[in-house]
Amino acid sequence: MKNVRIIPRLDIKGPNVVKPVHTEALRVVGNPKELIQRYYREGADEIIYMDIVASLYQRNLDFDLLKSVTDGIFIPFTVGGGIRSIHDINSALRSGADKVAINTFAIHHPEFITEAAKEFGSQCVVLSIEAKKQPNGTWEAYTDGGREPSGVDAVAWAKKGMELGAGEIMITSIDRDGTRRGYDLELIKRITDFAIVPVIVYGGAGSPEQVKNVILEGKADAAAAASVFHYKDFSIGDLKKYLKEENINVRLL
Amino acid sequence: MTKNKPKIVIVDYGVGNLHSLVKAFQFFNADVSVSEEATIVKAADAVVLPGVGSFEAGMRGLKVRDLVGVVKESADADKPMLGICLGAQLMLAKGYEFGEFNGLDIMPGKVVRFPEAKTGDKVPHIGWNSVYAGKEKTWDNSALRNLPQNFNAYFVHSYILVPDSKDQILGLTNYGGYEFCSIMKKGNVYASQFHPEKSGTVGLEIIKNFIQSI
Amino acid sequence: MKIKTLDNQLQYQPKEVVFCRQCVVSNQRPRITFNSDGVCSACEYARKKHNLIDWKKREAELMALCDRYRSKDGGFDVVVPGSGGKDSAYTAHILKTKYGMHPLVVTWAPFEYTDIGWKNFQDFVRSGFTVMSCYQNGDLHRKLAQVAFELKGDAWEPFTFGQKAFAFHMALKFGIPLIFYGENGEVEYGGSTKDADKPFETIEDWETVHFKGAGVDKLAEAGLEMGIFKKGEIGPKTFELYRQPDISAIKKLGAQMHWLSYYRKWVPQENFYYAQKHTGFTVNEDGRSEGTYSKYASLDDKQDGFHFYLAFIKFGIGRATSDAAHEIRDGHITREEGIALVKRYDGEFPKKHFQWFLDYLGITEKHFWEVVDSYRPPHLWEKVNGEWKLKHRVN
Repeated sequence: MKNVRIIPRLDIKGPNVVKPVHTEALRVVGNPKELIQRYYREGADEIIYMDIVASLYQRNLDFDLLKSVTDGIFIPFTVGGGIRSIHDINSALRSGADKVAINTFAIHHPEFITEAAKEFGSQCVVLSIEAKKQPNGTWEAYTDGGREPSGVDAVAWAKKGMELGAGEIMITSIDRDGTRRGYDLELIKRITDFAIVPVIVYGGAGSPEQVKNVILEGKADAAAAASVFHYKDFSIGDLKKYLKEENINVRLL
Repeated sequence: MTKNKPKIVIVDYGVGNLHSLVKAFQFFNADVSVSEEATIVKAADAVVLPGVGSFEAGMRGLKVRDLVGVVKESADADKPMLGICLGAQLMLAKGYEFGEFNGLDIMPGKVVRFPEAKTGDKVPHIGWNSVYAGKEKTWDNSALRNLPQNFNAYFVHSYILVPDSKDQILGLTNYGGYEFCSIMKKGNVYASQFHPEKSGTVGLEIIKNFIQSI
Repeated sequence: MKIKTLDNQLQYQPKEVVFCRQCVVSNQRPRITFNSDGVCSACEYARKKHNLIDWKKREAELMALCDRYRSKDGGFDVVVPGSGGKDSAYTAHILKTKYGMHPLVVTWAPFEYTDIGWKNFQDFVRSGFTVMSCYQNGDLHRKLAQVAFELKGDAWEPFTFGQKAFAFHMALKFGIPLIFYGENGEVEYGGSTKDADKPFETIEDWETVHFKGAGVDKLAEAGLEMGIFKKGEIGPKTFELYRQPDISAIKKLGAQMHWLSYYRKWVPQENFYYAQKHTGFTVNEDGRSEGTYSKYASLDDKQDGFHFYLAFIKFGIGRATSDAAHEIRDGHITREEGIALVKRYDGEFPKKHFQWFLDYLGITEKHFWEVVDSYRPPHLWEKVNGEWKLKHRVN
């Protein structure tokens, strides 16, 4: 069985790491540089760094800040937030990103995924989808930091995104985000069922058991989490030890 | 008398993200620069060939900058060289991504797509995986010296190195039930499928070893 | 028909529009004041709130207050008005769990619960609270709304009468003298600051501040005149729940209406996190609320959007401005970010429940706009290419 990646996710606003719930509210939980260094030391496999208000405020993420926090951290960075052009991707890569996550702009301009993949390679392009369960049992994709319903079916969009050239899918459950009540397994399984590219799951991690389940049952290739790490419910190291004991391959330091 | 630091040049041929690579070398206070100029690459004491993307795009990037010649000469002269990911793949003779293309032919071999994974694991191979030495292989006197067997490194690729000469296989990795060559060595020239600059402290160790060998 | 207006406030709006230097609110907001640095009273209070007030001392006062009123037999000892929204959920829950009180939550029902409002209300009850709900006489309540809409442009007003009064009625009926509101809205959001250092409000304070010069009686009177109420349909006590109970009874009970925001630093965003964690509160189900960027505020009533929209018409202050202003004051967003949000969302028409609203008031869309447009003060609005545009926007 291949190694599953454990990835802390930092939601960034201005100079701070914040932790929304249901993608709402901006409670400050830490300093990006400090948290990234801590997670790097603890054995994070990658870092996800998302400016969650860039699209809402219709601006770019702070590339200078990104540069300063990626310094000295030698694991892959996936960076997102207001990525709208080839130029933005270049700026992100030059500031330390290895991959970019795109949500809002990609939904409005799906061809941008193909353009980006052609220019930088599929492995550089992560399609980020924030999904909310609808009363009819489907999931709708949201943009602008979980605030605008797009009218697009999230699962169908994941499929399309792959066909357009996304190298990975990052699927977030708005319903579970920040709640620590567990990942949305139903949503995740719908996507991992057909996904031929790696799927990073996010939203709701509350316990090591839930991470185990999303890997075994949900077939996630990578599990991202935020609250549990930022609030120190358990460390990345402890989580990996637990997963290893449960016969899940993870990279141990 | 102070010895001049060796000049390490990272070749910029228009593909890939060089930022982390530069940072990794700077971590050791190496004299590292990025260049697409053939003259500068030629004058380097050691060459790093990075890159992500398609084989064809990589070769095109080198050709259009007249870098093919200097890179090959560098390797022929057994100057320390580190090819990473696409850079490593280009060092082989032939690449079969979206067609058949000639590589730099620094080491005999070809680049092909991952065969059908036995365990249903996905391609591209993205993530951490362990690197181990082949039977009767030692890592002493190589950039992997002092590293533990089965160290973890970061991979992101859909195509793999298939060297002609077993002697040039330095490290192996298993993915999807399939064993492939994850790093090659010919003299001072290395072709690494994984990204040492993205592989945490163990990757830094490899870079340090490489620098020290110059 | 000549549309009268009973709204006292409109007389007092300054003709020159000035925006606060620190937040995004303007001097058009009733009762707001600006200091010599151009900073509004709400921002000034916020500075105090975050930097100068000794919250430990205030909490000690709260604990002493609770010690005095806490029941020893598990009986209700505090009335908490609320809807199960984040603020009342926080207020009720913290009084119960941290300060050992036994809240009786009283809800003055919204005109019509939204799905998310009803869900949050039920989850709140389920999380462990007794709630007395008043569902106002559907017919009379609606007629009051109609009158209020015609005369003040704000159909929402009948709600505000009972929101306060009902709590006092329940306090009297249950013999509970302690009433706890969440925040002192005047002080927190830029109204009268005369009670900024007071823990509670007197009953006499209500009328001017909250009824804008015309309590339910004036609406009823106007309604009779307009023929919306039939003679004999309403009597002196018909709307007793909409006005304060007999003052002497209240004085005898010793009822006092305290603000939690006096005792604990009031940060709506933190109330959201708290309510989400403890009472099952969840955000607006279709993303941001219309007219703003936020997902956690004022979700209960299908009428909410129109109340905010009327404020936008009358004062040029829409929902996004209100949300951004307090988030700036609490340091969650910067002024530039607030301006960007106001620019993007303020004044967006709340179309989701528009048809419901028209049906509820029994009016046509044409009439809706006739009334609404009549409230656009000429010093704020102008028509550009046939479209109404605000003359002044924050920047």
